[in-house]
Amino acid sequence: MSDNTVNAQQKSGAVQTTGHAWDGDLQEYNNPLPRWWLWSFYGTVVFSVLYWLIYPSWPVGDSWLKGMSTVNYTVTDKATGKEQAQEYRWNTRSQLLEDLGTAAGDQQRKAMLAKVQAASYEQIVKDPQMMEFVRSVGKGLFGDNCAACHGRGGQGVVGMYPNLTDDDWLWGGSMDKIHETLVNGRKGFMPAFGAVLKPEQLDDVAEYVLTLSNEVPASAAAERGKEIFQGQVGGCYYCHGANGKGLASQGAANLTDKIWAIADVSAQKTPQDKKTVVKDFVTKGVNNTRVMPAWQDRLSPIDIKLLAVYVHQLGGAK
Amino acid sequence: MAQSSALPAEQYNYDIVRKFTIMAMVWAVLGMSVGVYIASELAWPFLNFDIPQLTFGRLRPVHTTLVIFGFGGSALFATSYYVVQRTCQARLAFPWLAEFTFWGWTGGVALGALTYVSGITQGREYAEFEWPLDIAITLVWVSYFAIYVETLRRRSQPHIYVANWFFLAYILAVALLHIFNNLAVPVSLTKSYSLFAGVQDAMTQWWYGHNAVGFFLTAAFLGMMYYFVPKQAGRPVYSYRLSIIHFWALIFLYMWAGGHHLHWTSLPDWVSTLAATFSVILLMPSWGGMINGIMTLSGAWDKLRSDPIMLFLITSLSFYGMSTFEGPLMSLKSVNALSHYTDWTVGHVHSGALGWVALVSFGSFYHLIPRLWDRKIYSQTLIYVHFWLATIGIVLYIVSLWVAGIGQGLMLRAFDDYGNLAYTFIETVEFMHTPYVWRALGGAFFVSGVLVMVYNMAMTVRAARREQPVIEAKLAKA
Repeated sequence: MSDNTVNAQQKSGAVQTTGHAWDGDLQEYNNPLPRWWLWSFYGTVVFSVLYWLIYPSWPVGDSWLKGMSTVNYTVTDKATGKEQAQEYRWNTRSQLLEDLGTAAGDQQRKAMLAKVQAASYEQIVKDPQMMEFVRSVGKGLFGDNCAACHGRGGQGVVGMYPNLTDDDWLWGGSMDKIHETLVNGRKGFMPAFGAVLKPEQLDDVAEYVLTLSNEVPASAAAERGKEIFQGQVGGCYYCHGANGKGLASQGAANLTDKIWAIADVSAQKTPQDKKTVVKDFVTKGVNNTRVMPAWQDRLSPIDIKLLAVYVHQLGGAK
Repeated sequence: MAQSSALPAEQYNYDIVRKFTIMAMVWAVLGMSVGVYIASELAWPFLNFDIPQLTFGRLRPVHTTLVIFGFGGSALFATSYYVVQRTCQARLAFPWLAEFTFWGWTGGVALGALTYVSGITQGREYAEFEWPLDIAITLVWVSYFAIYVETLRRRSQPHIYVANWFFLAYILAVALLHIFNNLAVPVSLTKSYSLFAGVQDAMTQWWYGHNAVGFFLTAAFLGMMYYFVPKQAGRPVYSYRLSIIHFWALIFLYMWAGGHHLHWTSLPDWVSTLAATFSVILLMPSWGGMINGIMTLSGAWDKLRSDPIMLFLITSLSFYGMSTFEGPLMSLKSVNALSHYTDWTVGHVHSGALGWVALVSFGSFYHLIPRLWDRKIYSQTLIYVHFWLATIGIVLYIVSLWVAGIGQGLMLRAFDDYGNLAYTFIETVEFMHTPYVWRALGGAFFVSGVLVMVYNMAMTVRAARREQPVIEAKLAKA
């Protein structure tokens, strides 16, 4: 045992070991409890008793001590629409209601929500303050609900999710139409022509589609494709229109504007590659791969209205 | 030093201690490496490689199980079996049963990890084992209890040393926790449903989860500390009185505090309040152990300069003190509103797990290894290297998760002028990327320290093995 390192207390004879020894040299001093430790311990007990008095605490019978802390919040009477101040004992729910009423910027938020709710789309767009509010709410709403597919800036993913920042809208780009899209969702569909047309015919249709936006020059093949496109064999014009400009009521794409949402034509270098991606797409069609969920059960009507304006102003507003 | 005349290796069952020590190090390497891997997955999600078995969700319980029950559990088996024999001056009771606890525990942990990877789990945090493994663990644990109590009964010392109180409390409490938390209705060999539902189920889980921290990772390792710190320091424990008071206070108070994991949920408010206050009252009883450990060294501080094992032990007590201060702080409702669901919690757990549990185990092992294999440690310098790698690793880990957790907490509650949320969720995730990289790096530091220790230990054992025939030959000649 290291007797040469006895501490001061023991030297003075004030502290003794308990007199027990284990495993040769294991012993214990019998120092008193450190004062600061003891008082801190009492301190935590006092703190806790106060905490029990303030917050709901000990169970008593089939209830519990409710605590002295109270919170104030306003509730809107659903029948009369009147706001009424309420005082309630502290609990998680009343605290939340109070926070909702008093958090930073909350009055401002309520006022703006009422204003936006009452305004028409035209009025909102013309009012810079309302538009600022739309961007403030929209950032969070869009970021938490839409960005997972459409990207944080709404740029989309070619082949998967539509780009919301360009001037090309499959289902219509007016705020009413965007609103409709948000409320009910959309389901893109195009039949697979692989089973209907022969490979040569698919080649010709692809060639023709590419001439619509001058991706490739006119040719005999394109001429044959045009007949299929505009005739009963392909019947493409039912949805895309005789001029290929698409039809918003069907979600049919405009094929003349050089904006390629699904078949990634823009990324292809050679005319042959461009034709391949278009042909591939026409062969397979779209079935259950382009689905936008309906948000009416997930977001409130005012949130959907705000989102419609937000998406509209992302850049592709018509 | 007063030693009994018989050779310790003959008087005591060291074989079982050696086995658990070796397995503790094996689990440490495996479990902590998995930890570094999943930490890297959080920073660089492509590391999932779209392989279900490699995803964070499956590997995370593998990590926690291997480090808590594999490494921590084996370390506790090793040290408790060592301490109970030496402080009772009695050979371990029921050697065949002790052998069963080794194979049962090791097999249970290994099977647990395999089942999690295959997607078989109860989905209860730190208790993911499905019911057949739960039953096997119960058998092991009851055997552990029987061995421990019987060895205590056979002691040739009039008094039971303080370390054994803590070990016994841990064995009893863990049995209780394990059994009630895992009450379930099996529907097949690999699937069961909890007996509890809704908020009662959540409460049961966190009653278990928090006391797994309290009794497995705190009380039991305090038992380890109470033997190895005074032994290594060669000095008496600071205060017997303090040890009694803080032992009973700790044992009584811990059981109440689990609800603080469920603040701001559907947990009744009064349960939440009691959980918060009992966590606060728990602060000083927790610190009692730290004071008793650190003050044991008072008057011999110079040992910190000359003894790397002492560095491990004292640093572990410092981290213990820090995380037991941080815990009550985070259990206050108002602080928890910020910290809950953020990585601050993860950082807090690791300051306890790496700083306290792992460091005190390493220190104790460095004390144990030369005694178990009767051979001086291979390299004193490598102990220092391990110490610094571990300490740097812990600091990197904790600080980066303070930044990640508090940062994300503040972002999630930030509003703009209109009272709208200032940040989207994904922005908070992007913000955490850099701290996540630092966290993974901290973990890598820590694991590399463990590898240094494994090397040091292996070289010591190898030298001991090589020497053994030489000694035997000499004895035979004489």
